[in-house]
Amino acid sequence: MGFKVSELYKKYGEKVVVDHLSFEMKEPGVYALLGTNGAGKTTSIRMILNMLAKDGGSVEWNGGPLTLQTCNVGYLAEERGLYPKNTLMDQLLYFAALRGVPRAEAKKRINYWAERLEATEYLYPPQEGKRPPKPKKADQLSKGNQQKIQFMLSLLSDPELLILDEPLSGLDPVNTDLFKSIIHEEIEKGKYLIMSSHQMATIEEFCTDLTILNRSKTVLQGNLAEIKKSYGRINLFIKAEQELRPMIEAAGITILTSVGFSYQCKVSGEVQANALLKDLVAKGIPLISFELREPSLHEIFVEKVGETHEEQ
Amino acid sequence: MKNSNLRGAGTVFRYTVQQHYKTPSVIIFLTILFLIAVTAIPIAAMALGGKKESTETGIRKLYLRNETEYAIDAEDIRSEVRYGGLEIEETDADDAALNEKLTKEEDAAAAVVSLNVADQYFSISTHYGREGVVTHTDAALLNNTLESALHQALLRSLSVTEVQETMIRSKAMPQVSRVSDFLRGVEETNADTHVFMNIAYNYFIMMLCALSMGYIFQHSMEEKISKLVEMLMVSVSPTALLLGKILAVTLFIFGGLGLIAIGLLISFLITRQITDLTSFKDIAVTLLHFDPTAMKINAGTIVLLIICILLVYAISASLSGILGSCCSKTEDTQQASLVVVLFLMIGYLGSTFAPMFESDAANLFFSLFPVTSIFSAFPNYICGKIGMPVLVLALVIQGVTAALLMRLAGTVYKMMLMYRGGFPKPKQFIQMLKEHRAAQKAEAGKEDSHAV
Repeated sequence: MGFKVSELYKKYGEKVVVDHLSFEMKEPGVYALLGTNGAGKTTSIRMILNMLAKDGGSVEWNGGPLTLQTCNVGYLAEERGLYPKNTLMDQLLYFAALRGVPRAEAKKRINYWAERLEATEYLYPPQEGKRPPKPKKADQLSKGNQQKIQFMLSLLSDPELLILDEPLSGLDPVNTDLFKSIIHEEIEKGKYLIMSSHQMATIEEFCTDLTILNRSKTVLQGNLAEIKKSYGRINLFIKAEQELRPMIEAAGITILTSVGFSYQCKVSGEVQANALLKDLVAKGIPLISFELREPSLHEIFVEKVGETHEEQ
Repeated sequence: MKNSNLRGAGTVFRYTVQQHYKTPSVIIFLTILFLIAVTAIPIAAMALGGKKESTETGIRKLYLRNETEYAIDAEDIRSEVRYGGLEIEETDADDAALNEKLTKEEDAAAAVVSLNVADQYFSISTHYGREGVVTHTDAALLNNTLESALHQALLRSLSVTEVQETMIRSKAMPQVSRVSDFLRGVEETNADTHVFMNIAYNYFIMMLCALSMGYIFQHSMEEKISKLVEMLMVSVSPTALLLGKILAVTLFIFGGLGLIAIGLLISFLITRQITDLTSFKDIAVTLLHFDPTAMKINAGTIVLLIICILLVYAISASLSGILGSCCSKTEDTQQASLVVVLFLMIGYLGSTFAPMFESDAANLFFSLFPVTSIFSAFPNYICGKIGMPVLVLALVIQGVTAALLMRLAGTVYKMMLMYRGGFPKPKQFIQMLKEHRAAQKAEAGKEDSHAV
């Protein structure tokens, strides 16, 4: 059971754009594909979905090749679009019909998702004056609202595997929360999700496993919690009521940023942090907070991508 | 081709058709097209002076002054339906007396038949009082009948029998051909008819290709422009998407042609009610030297015509599909259409000027060479320039060309769906095609090993 990508490879001319990418999801959850611009994330997704011919490698779903027939896939592409001059309802029904959803069931699902995504007014515009309301067309919506319709398109078939390429980019905070809540629901329903995003905080909120790509190559892969654990707790956040800089520097700790009497520092490990804490307590310095944290995904990403840049 | 690859083609077809006919501009365009077709023949007939031979006439009485020695039989005049009840009075009255009669009697007409001995012609002049009960057309029609009655009187005076009369009225059918054709017994149409037929057929084919090219360009790049292609690709295969769209465009094109045909049929029926259509044929024969009776036109030819049109459409649509797939934005269609138009123009011009050579070798070459064959083969066949075996060979060549182009169109459409660059240059395009084919082979090999 599950989803498996093995040795995925693609090149254009002499340029390798995806270099033997492999990963596996044995059970439902969220897998993150991260990378710099042009690292090969979208190309990998396109090969996974058979939109691009692979130069090597395979994609399996439940032990067999992943095709339109073997897997019910929902996909929110990074390149967003709708037929600009067609009505929204027509487009939604068209996509549902292509996925084999009967018309009555499709209407039910459309109404559910329209309500869930607060898009009912675009599908059923209210009457103004005596004339019957005109159905809305895609080019009459804002980008954010078009994104809601596209998200509906990807969810209409009730997919087993949902691939979201930059799902939250371009959304306002209210709609970001709305999308996040739906993603959480899909996770709870036991779906397989693959997410690609530049917003590390978002990925961190959802994903269990990840692959970081840089210039077509895999630079880091594994379970997010384990990766973080392997880095140890090296981020120290201190908030005090007085200047601490001399004491922190005296302990051999690097201050990354400081605002007022708040400091973000990098320590070699818990021993170094504890030594500083003992010293501050011994000197009777009042502390508001003293927190030792694991590195964030953002930091891991920057570090890993930076390393490969240096190597190259 | 796997059936699963075609799943969804019907849905794509229905949706494309539904959206097309929902567009107000399309409905307006089709309505205008239909109205033009409906009014085309009556307007042309009116403009060319067509008139309806009415079975009614306002003339109730005819004063006939026959100054010739040939007795006109009143029954020859009354044998025409409209003059069945006509009162005919032979008279010697002079012009002034006739004028007085016509002024008093509104439903009367007067005719003077005379012979100009010096110039050797007969003169028939028909008069009426004033426009009202008797019209100018009534007088003109009576004049025609009198001419025929005078002709009968002449034949009678010469004691010509009915058989002899038939012989006299028989027309000669002139045939001009090379001695080789004469010996082969080939009934050849004249060069003017061949040229006219080529021009007319080529013009129709050119219009069909140009119209379908626009539609196919629009539909083959629609998903790219609307950026929906990736979302669609998880729901339907490129093959099914392309097939659904091409079928829809086929319906638009042939639906439009069908509408024009229905319009023209209605137009023909209307024209028959208000004017005499034989004048059209006369005009075509006289002015254009076009003789439709000299062509091979029968039910079989109609079937052949339909096959030829479908093959032309398949070739043109596939070519447009290949080039339309290479477009990522509207501006790219200029380059794409240039290539298609260039291809069509070679065929169109070659085929239009070919009949002027009056050469068997040229007719054979233009009928068989794929680019010109779609324009030349059919007119050459119905004008007797090529035989059935050559036509069949031409159709086979066209069929194979269409099949190869369709296959290539499917590959290119799939290959270019994700392409977002400018219109590719030939070298770049061939390189892309090679890479795509290599990747497809690699994938096919992988699938086979998976199956094993």
